[in-house]
Amino acid sequence: MIPVEYYIILSAILFAIGVAGVLVRRNALIIFMSIELMLNSANLAIVAFSSVLKSFSGQVFVFFVIAVAAAEVAVGLALMVEIFKAKHSIDVDQMNSLKG
Amino acid sequence: MTGEQIVFLVVAFVTLFAGLMVVTTRNLVHAALWLVAALFGVAVTYVILHANFLAVVQVVVYIGAIAILFIFAVMLTRRDMRDQGPQMNKNWWFGAVLAVLTFGGLYFLLQGWEGMTKTATSYPVGFDAISELGNALVSPAGYVLPFEVASVLLVAALVGAVYVAFNPRNGNSGK
Amino acid sequence: MNLTSQDYQVLAPYILLTAWACVLLLVDLFIPKERKSVTALLAALGLAVTLGVTLSQVGIEQVGFFNMAALDGFSTFVNALLLVSGILGIALAHGYVKRMGIERGEYYTLLLFSVSGMMLMAQATDLIIVFIALELLSIPLYVLAAFARPQLSSEEAGMKYFLLGAFATGFVVYGTALVFGATGTTSLAGIVAAAASPSTSTLLLTIGAALVLVGFGFKVAAVPFHMWTPDVYQGAPTAVTAFMASGAKIAGFAALLRVFATAFPALAVDMTAVLWALAALTMIVGNVIAISQTDIKRMLAYSSIAHAGYILMAFVPYGNPAVRDVSIAAGLFYLVAYAFTNFGAWGVVIALEKKEEKGLAIADYAGLGRKHPLLAAAMTVFMLSLVGLPPTLGLVGKVYLFRAVIAGGFTGLAIIGVLTSLISAYYYLRVVVTMYMKEGEPETVRETWLSLTTALTAIVTVVFSLLPQSLFEWASTAVLKLF
Repeated sequence: MIPVEYYIILSAILFAIGVAGVLVRRNALIIFMSIELMLNSANLAIVAFSSVLKSFSGQVFVFFVIAVAAAEVAVGLALMVEIFKAKHSIDVDQMNSLKG
Repeated sequence: MTGEQIVFLVVAFVTLFAGLMVVTTRNLVHAALWLVAALFGVAVTYVILHANFLAVVQVVVYIGAIAILFIFAVMLTRRDMRDQGPQMNKNWWFGAVLAVLTFGGLYFLLQGWEGMTKTATSYPVGFDAISELGNALVSPAGYVLPFEVASVLLVAALVGAVYVAFNPRNGNSGK
Repeated sequence: MNLTSQDYQVLAPYILLTAWACVLLLVDLFIPKERKSVTALLAALGLAVTLGVTLSQVGIEQVGFFNMAALDGFSTFVNALLLVSGILGIALAHGYVKRMGIERGEYYTLLLFSVSGMMLMAQATDLIIVFIALELLSIPLYVLAAFARPQLSSEEAGMKYFLLGAFATGFVVYGTALVFGATGTTSLAGIVAAAASPSTSTLLLTIGAALVLVGFGFKVAAVPFHMWTPDVYQGAPTAVTAFMASGAKIAGFAALLRVFATAFPALAVDMTAVLWALAALTMIVGNVIAISQTDIKRMLAYSSIAHAGYILMAFVPYGNPAVRDVSIAAGLFYLVAYAFTNFGAWGVVIALEKKEEKGLAIADYAGLGRKHPLLAAAMTVFMLSLVGLPPTLGLVGKVYLFRAVIAGGFTGLAIIGVLTSLISAYYYLRVVVTMYMKEGEPETVRETWLSLTTALTAIVTVVFSLLPQSLFEWASTAVLKLF
């Protein structure tokens, strides 16, 4: 059997990779993919905890996280495609039409 | 080492490597494919944790819908699929340090958690996880409220996404 | 195992508003394009009816949906404030979207969805509901921020807000995961019960709570999680910014208060220091950067960051039962003051804004005092209120707030609050000086609803400051139902 420690460490590393991606990359799509990694790491932790605690509510929570992620993806990707159509770039560093 | 442990270690390694590739690769299509690999690794981990239904949902929704949408978006936003120019933003070192600190902090703090060595257990024989999940989702004592709110959320997101993607030049909103 | 009418009563305002929004979505299809004012009116009517239901619930305290949502003085107060914000948001938007050529029925539907998410956040007593309500309030706001598409600045604002919000969601979910791991439940009542048992890992709970705090820090734009807030506030359509600056903040703070005060009182020792630092940093950074701004939208964005710092002050003594209720009341009072002042100030900005983002520099306000004395007087009131000078609600709010913080034993924080308010006087009063002392020919638009909103908020800001006791007493009844 595998101690839950391993799952939690796996999820913590995955979370850190996601955070790094968001903070380091400039491409909006990659940033968004990194956010998905963060959500997945959280889901992994929840499922691991729920398995140790023999509590079913964790799995239900994961279910909702996935549903919400799907909703976010729909809106987020629509925005990105629209911006790309307008300026042919989705680098967040180049989004400087806002600097006052 | 049991077979399960070996499987876990291999899957964990693949998941982390794929995650790392997502945030480091230059090629956007590759990044999306690595994302699929990472999501699949998480799905396999769910199986090891006896959350079979979630593993299926992960494959169907996350890989089948979300990751595919990502690939669509990549195709729609890149001419040559290759990101030119610098990949990192100006403060990349700051972000990297912060992320390492995040992990270090999490790891250091979790070291002190006594529950760390407990092992995951499988559900008892005869436990029907899927019908339990189904009941939990729609029973009033369970999660019917979040379930309904999530459906409202999906409607709102749908309206929003359609509005954003709607092309004012072609259609004239029902006229 | 069945839901009773009591359960529905707890969430009656939320259910009503959501249903109204869904029906409005359909009704809007039959409203011709040039008559979208009807949609606006219907949306405002929905908010007003819901406000009526909410006010009829004053004094009721119960939980519903098997401990998933609560109705108490706190939620009633916050819901009423949110609904008023929604109505003011529609009043500001109505003429603005028409003028900017972005008038579409979805605007009002999305706004209703967002308000319903905010209300649910104030009532949620389960972290799953907190999470979904957070998304329900955020996703429509991302779209609203990008509503002026294909105008690039608005699309970019939507995208930045989206990325920031999704990032914050990641933290909230991970934090919730750890809290769940520590306690085995997501219900606030269950967390309190579990936290009391010695077998629960305080450590895991603390990290989880801290990550949830980080996520909400992004939502309410506290420093150091404020990076893109000015860009978003500047790029979004001004009417959306006005709504976002009040609504999202109120809901974020309401959920934060409820989650921390009900579920994590045991962590107060650690959290107080963190909150203290967050509040101090937010007040200092927000006010100092605001000084150098020349664009009124950016200046008000930094001002809203600074005000998040002031409101955060009310959280610092949350673990101290002796002053908790009075500091929550002070925080709520300050939120009311901030919401009205904020809507008024943005209303004036809307009155001067022209197409293609013209008329937004502070220099464009020169001569307003001579040409449009009423508008300038209203703006003066709002600026005074934001600084915290008499005779405005802002002053009373700050007095209550500082008093509560000092009573909680955090005199140092109150001193930082006073000093940063002095700094803020410089840039707020600069607007007043520009309006009255400089020559210029500002052009404004006249719209009935806009003028009404500005006048109403200005009157509220002044009049309630003269009789603040009744409002504060109401805020004092807004206590949280604890488990």
